[in-house]
Amino acid sequence: MNIEAVWQWFVAPLQFEFMVKAILVSALVGTVCSLLSCYMTLKGWALMGDAVSHAVLPGVVIAYILNIPFAIGAFIFGLGSVISIGFIKANTRIKEDTVIGLVFTGFFAFGLVLISKTPSSVDLMHILFGNVLGISDLNLVQTVIISIITIVCLTLLRKDLLLFCFDATHARSIGLNTTALYYVLLSMLALTIVAAQQTVGIILVIAMLVTPGATAYMLSDEFNKMTLIAIASGVFSSLMGTYISYHLDASTGGCIVVLQTLLFVAAMIFAPKHGMLAKRLQS
Amino acid sequence: MSQIAVQVEEVTVSYNGKVALHGANLELRTGSISGLVGMNGSGKSTLFKAIMGFVQPTHGRVLIKGISMKRAQKQNLVAYIPQYEDVDWNFPISVEDVVMMGRYGYMNFLRIPGKNDHEIVTESLLKTHMNEFRSRQIGELSGGQKKRAFLARALAQKAQVILLDEPFAGVDIKTEKAIIQLLVELRNMGHTILISTHDLSSISTFCDDVVLINGTILAYGPTREVFTEENIARTFDGMMMIKDVASR
Repeated sequence: MNIEAVWQWFVAPLQFEFMVKAILVSALVGTVCSLLSCYMTLKGWALMGDAVSHAVLPGVVIAYILNIPFAIGAFIFGLGSVISIGFIKANTRIKEDTVIGLVFTGFFAFGLVLISKTPSSVDLMHILFGNVLGISDLNLVQTVIISIITIVCLTLLRKDLLLFCFDATHARSIGLNTTALYYVLLSMLALTIVAAQQTVGIILVIAMLVTPGATAYMLSDEFNKMTLIAIASGVFSSLMGTYISYHLDASTGGCIVVLQTLLFVAAMIFAPKHGMLAKRLQS
Repeated sequence: MSQIAVQVEEVTVSYNGKVALHGANLELRTGSISGLVGMNGSGKSTLFKAIMGFVQPTHGRVLIKGISMKRAQKQNLVAYIPQYEDVDWNFPISVEDVVMMGRYGYMNFLRIPGKNDHEIVTESLLKTHMNEFRSRQIGELSGGQKKRAFLARALAQKAQVILLDEPFAGVDIKTEKAIIQLLVELRNMGHTILISTHDLSSISTFCDDVVLINGTILAYGPTREVFTEENIARTFDGMMMIKDVASR
């Protein structure tokens, strides 16, 4: 493959406005998801992320029906699912993982019922699997605003959230409001899911919220480095995934997540200190 | 300075109507090491939570250095050293970062450390003989070093009262002795230390006072007076047979 062909592979899609938008949105969503994924990985909130991502479905549909920004509906239902999980956990003898499974499937099923009774303007496939190549200007603006809010909040509260993930008891003993931090992190989760929904859809968004953090966790013992590696892998796979999906005419979300998974597998095997090869050589 | 660091007055704590601690009274002297002894479910964790201000007593009150728990939290007066299994040792964080977390309560909301914070962290690492390990990821430390890292955090926090939950669980005798030596040094610096432990054999060797708990505080005071066979039998519902405990 010569340089000209490689150049064309990257440049040719940019002649289309929809591709420029898609690439920009993917890079932004890759950044915000990767940033949050570090906390999700360290806090062990993969299942919670999966729950919230599925639970936003009825909110998105209701927002379409009411003709309000889908972000508002998704955010309300995302947070609603978390509050429901907390309520059921506190008032019954059922374990948390069971409650999470119960709540998110209930919300998701309610969303499916709403879609089946709603005029065809709501495209289930786009909600479930994303449609970044067809993103509207309104949704683009929403995604940018949500992403900026999330990145600013996560950056400003970085140290408090890190302490909350590492040792919530100490955080509380020095007077930090850990309940507020819990809901801030969950709100960031709900917002990020809303931002990523256009790109990869609500089914695959959990991969964006877990895989970059998990990849970086294999490669670093230091949180700042972990964050940078997560963002680099998330943005790289988002950009390359969008390009590959254009050239292969394949699902954009699918391409992004497959790339992310491949990066994780590579890190899992070849990570210099914690990789499987390194462990085998050490033993 | 108040001679009493922790005052627990007639404290009752209930969870969902079930009483976990009833009418507890306790005073911990400033600059002392106290061993908290009781069975599982005897209220040890609840007492810790009450002293840290994590539970609101349904009756009674807890004072730290003569002030309420909420004010004590704001003044960073109480530090908690978690049990070994409650810490994620793979967490991507260095010893220095852990100790710096002890300074968060003194910083603004962005938690950007100043020169003074860095100096206090170094001082705390030196006092706990952990300075040479400051850049290590916390999981790369030995059992004793891990405890010392968290004690360094308590020092950096300038905590007057330090609570330790089962500090000797899963550590060998040599490490246990090293931890005890450090605790004695901290006691001599004026810190008040309360240790929850199942390890009755070492209580008499380093605890100035003993607190016996079984749903309420059964007895507290100097080890030689309180740590008697009769009191231990009451603490463990008569299921413990220890001979000649006070002379151990």
